Amino acid sequence: MVAETNESMVAGSSSENILEVRDLSVRFPIVEGPDVFAVRDFNLAVKPGEFVGLMGEPGCGKSTAAMSFLGLVRPPGVIETGQINFAGDDILKMDEETVRQMRGRDIGMIVQNPRYSLHPMMRVGDQIANVYRAHNDVGKREAWEHAVSMLRMVGINDPERRVKAYAHELSSGMAQRVLIAIALSSQPKLLIADEPTSGLDVTIQAQFLDQMWDSCRQASSAVVLVTQDLGIVANYCDRVVIMHEGTIVEDADVYTFFESPQHEYSRRILQLQREAQEAGDAVLGKIDRTAPPILEVKDMSKLFPIRGSESKVHAVEHADFELRPGECLGLVGESGSGKTTIGRCVLRLVEPTQGEIVFQERNIAEIRPNEFRKFRGDLQIVFQDPLDSLNPRWTVHQVLSEPLKLHTNLSPEEKEQRISELLNLVGLEPSMRFALPREMSAGRQQRASIARAIASNPDFIVLDEPTSALTPETTAEIIQLLMDLSAKLGIAYLFISHDLTTVKYICHRVVVLYLGQIVEVGTKDQVFNQPRHPYSRALLSSHLFPDTANRRVDREVRETLEGEIPSPITENLPKGCYLYGRCPSQVDKCRDLPQELTKLDDGRSVRCWRVAEGDLPDEPAAH
Amino acid sequence: MVWRFIAKRVAIALLQLIGISLVVFFLIRGLDADPVARIVGLNATEEAVKQATESLGLHEHQLQQLGNYLGIFSSSGKPGIVQGTLGESWVTGSSILEEVTRFLPITLELITYALIIAFLLAMPLGMSSGTRPGGAADRFTFVWGLFAGSQPEFWWGLMFVFVFFFVFQQAGWPSAPAPLGRLNPFLTAPESITGFIMIDSLLRGRFDVWIDAGKHLMLPVFTLVFVVSGPIVKMVRQNMLRVLRSDYILYARSAGLPRQKVARYALRAALAPAMTLTAIIYGFLLGGAVPVELIYSLGGIGEYSIRSILNLDFPAIQGTVLVIAMVSLVIYLAIDILHAFLDPRIAF
Ligand SMILES: Nc1ncnc2c1ncn2[C@@H]1O[C@H](COP(=O)(O)OP(=O)(O)OP(=O)(O)O)[C@@H](O)[C@H]1O
Ligand code: SF4
Ligand SMILES: [Mg+2]
Repeated sequence: MVAETNESMVAGSSSENILEVRDLSVRFPIVEGPDVFAVRDFNLAVKPGEFVGLMGEPGCGKSTAAMSFLGLVRPPGVIETGQINFAGDDILKMDEETVRQMRGRDIGMIVQNPRYSLHPMMRVGDQIANVYRAHNDVGKREAWEHAVSMLRMVGINDPERRVKAYAHELSSGMAQRVLIAIALSSQPKLLIADEPTSGLDVTIQAQFLDQMWDSCRQASSAVVLVTQDLGIVANYCDRVVIMHEGTIVEDADVYTFFESPQHEYSRRILQLQREAQEAGDAVLGKIDRTAPPILEVKDMSKLFPIRGSESKVHAVEHADFELRPGECLGLVGESGSGKTTIGRCVLRLVEPTQGEIVFQERNIAEIRPNEFRKFRGDLQIVFQDPLDSLNPRWTVHQVLSEPLKLHTNLSPEEKEQRISELLNLVGLEPSMRFALPREMSAGRQQRASIARAIASNPDFIVLDEPTSALTPETTAEIIQLLMDLSAKLGIAYLFISHDLTTVKYICHRVVVLYLGQIVEVGTKDQVFNQPRHPYSRALLSSHLFPDTANRRVDREVRETLEGEIPSPITENLPKGCYLYGRCPSQVDKCRDLPQELTKLDDGRSVRCWRVAEGDLPDEPAAH
Repeated sequence: MVWRFIAKRVAIALLQLIGISLVVFFLIRGLDADPVARIVGLNATEEAVKQATESLGLHEHQLQQLGNYLGIFSSSGKPGIVQGTLGESWVTGSSILEEVTRFLPITLELITYALIIAFLLAMPLGMSSGTRPGGAADRFTFVWGLFAGSQPEFWWGLMFVFVFFFVFQQAGWPSAPAPLGRLNPFLTAPESITGFIMIDSLLRGRFDVWIDAGKHLMLPVFTLVFVVSGPIVKMVRQNMLRVLRSDYILYARSAGLPRQKVARYALRAALAPAMTLTAIIYGFLLGGAVPVELIYSLGGIGEYSIRSILNLDFPAIQGTVLVIAMVSLVIYLAIDILHAFLDPRIAF
């Protein structure tokens, strides 16, 4: 059926499609070994104004295919066969100058890595000017002026100075806005965007995709959006195309895709996501709220000094929260909001500047170092990148033996027994027992580090972005595993993540951080379904859930935040409410009035006086 | 910022120079070799040996010798390094600073021309081999590299002398001059200004000398270019391959920049590492161009240092090591500054 869809589209009149790719193959010669065909027998048609999401697992050839729509391949690759018809003409047959003029004018491109896409040794302004001069007959001065106005247009402050900056002096968000401005300014008929938002924070991602969507709809440009994120596809795309091993295996409109995925890969990723969600709902909600908390964080702050400067990095300010046995508490926020620092303070990997951390009714600051070593067995952590945290020369067996040696008095046989048990618990095959980290997939590596964390039977684990180095598919599996373990072993989690989708599945309660401050704490339902703090609202509304029921592009008001997150150093921090300047609900009073975390009647706490006084309406979140 | 960086580097360089001087000073004194015997001969009387030892200052304790050399707490009453002299040669008796300033420019001239030409040759060759792997330029550099690397440079030097001097002369073709120095013995060199004979002769309006010196430098420079270009070409080629795969070149192409602009982007990125490599080779050749200097009887600093070592002329050895180290440190500093100027990511 998939093939038929494709056939019928390609067979249709060619002038109707803005892009029509037929039987495309791209080959990479390999010095030792057989050549790689990154793209094989690839067929795709895109109508004017259409938003097509191109998805697939890593390495399936998405980027190579996207690049080839402009007739380009990364050396040493070559386009082996096929046609790339743009508005009816095959660009592989055109002379070089004609294609060159079309690139950047009729076909725009936005790439994955904005900062690496700018020349590292040339001023940003010169590069923008060069692109402008490539398509317009203007002088150097005029092109430079154009670059300045371009930066001003995308909202970069002080464009006269920024235009002289180099790529490494811009944040990724800024660089990406520059690139999209360049790409959109010529109103291309086709825009190709290769993972344009990977690595950006959610609110910035939403700003960016909204801008792209609006401009492209206005100019009725077609867009091919390469992504691995089901959320982006669900919220912005009209059609989904799935690539597998270099070729297209599924092509459906977005609603059909989410309802009845056809290909095995599509079914698997959607299925895993659903299972994780259902299992989460089943497991959650069994927490004894009267039990004494296992962890209490009281008025904790952590300031890092900056070398050669008076000012400090305010990583965490006045954090207050608690965790009950068996509970999973989510810690969410964008980059620089202090999530990781809180996790490290709790484990005493860094010393808090102020405040108390009480674990199992003992203040951990008062435990002497050699006694604390025994304590470590009960306090475990799993990091973002398993390869970084596993010794590359240790087998799984060695990795798991260590905590058993440190924290238990098992006999050698009992240890072997326990290791088998652990492997079984985390779903690693017995054959993995003597494998080295680099011999395992990222998902297995993460399972091994989870096994290490649970080896000493801890009551509490800090999970610091345990899934953000993983593909969406593996992420779903790991979330599933973590929930199973929590149900079986009654472990409490402090789950740190910027990915709201995973937090939503696994957590009982959620803490929202902004610039080192907790702005809202509440149950999962409160925070996700009815966020009150303006920042939580914007964050939730910016987050793209993989759900076509309420697409962001269909909403009348798309709540979002202006600008970027300031870096949390002393002189950057606003005097009053930290959100002042970006908050859609701000009033003059917020500018100078520092905000306190205030408990509301429904049990949650919010750091906003307008919410506390009932000034802000309490309507459900938009999504 | 730049000045602070330079000041810091100069300070480090001074420390390095002091370290190198000390190491050399004690190292040669620890050698199982007797400079006095070398000077007075093996059959000299005890009296003569004693006298020579005292006149060279070798009877003093090593620390006192160091003091004399440095010109601090000197017991000899003669000036030392601190007073701005490198002492006198035990063999010729003349000032080492003078000798070094006579011989050093000869080597500098040779390797400067050779490396400028090598760099100018390697850039376009490397870039076109990198742009079209397997193309004509690439195959040419491959074969060249194979040849140039197959034999040591003295072999190539002798080979070129044999072909371009001997064979050509036999055949009655215009040939290279005999490999006997920098100038035809019937010409007198102009008085030194820079020490670079090609430049001095121009400055003094001696065009006959300019032409003759050019002819004499031709083969030695060519020999060095032939041998050292290979690695530079290879490096430029590798860089070019990497740069052409980079995101920013792909992006520049996808934005529709004209071909020459894209080439300029690539050149910009491939330039800095090639320059660094050239500078490193330059530092190496300061003392490492000896075979070529010897074959063409140019009399450069390399030749001078070998002679000093064979004569166990301690002050001369110390002096050359110090000067060569100084020149290479200046070159590395210059290249770092240039590099930072080209690449804004390098912070001082
Ligand atoms: N320069 C190259 N040399 C050899 N093989 C390559 C090269 N570039 C890409 N490939 C191969 O082509 C295939 C597709 O790569 P491509 O980058 O297009 O995938 P992708 O789907 O965009 O991956 P990702 O999700 O990681 O961005 C992979 O198997 C990759 O190993
Ligand atoms: S205090 Fe004011 S600025 Fe801060 S979140 Fe509330 S409304 Fe917005
Ligand atoms: Mg990719």
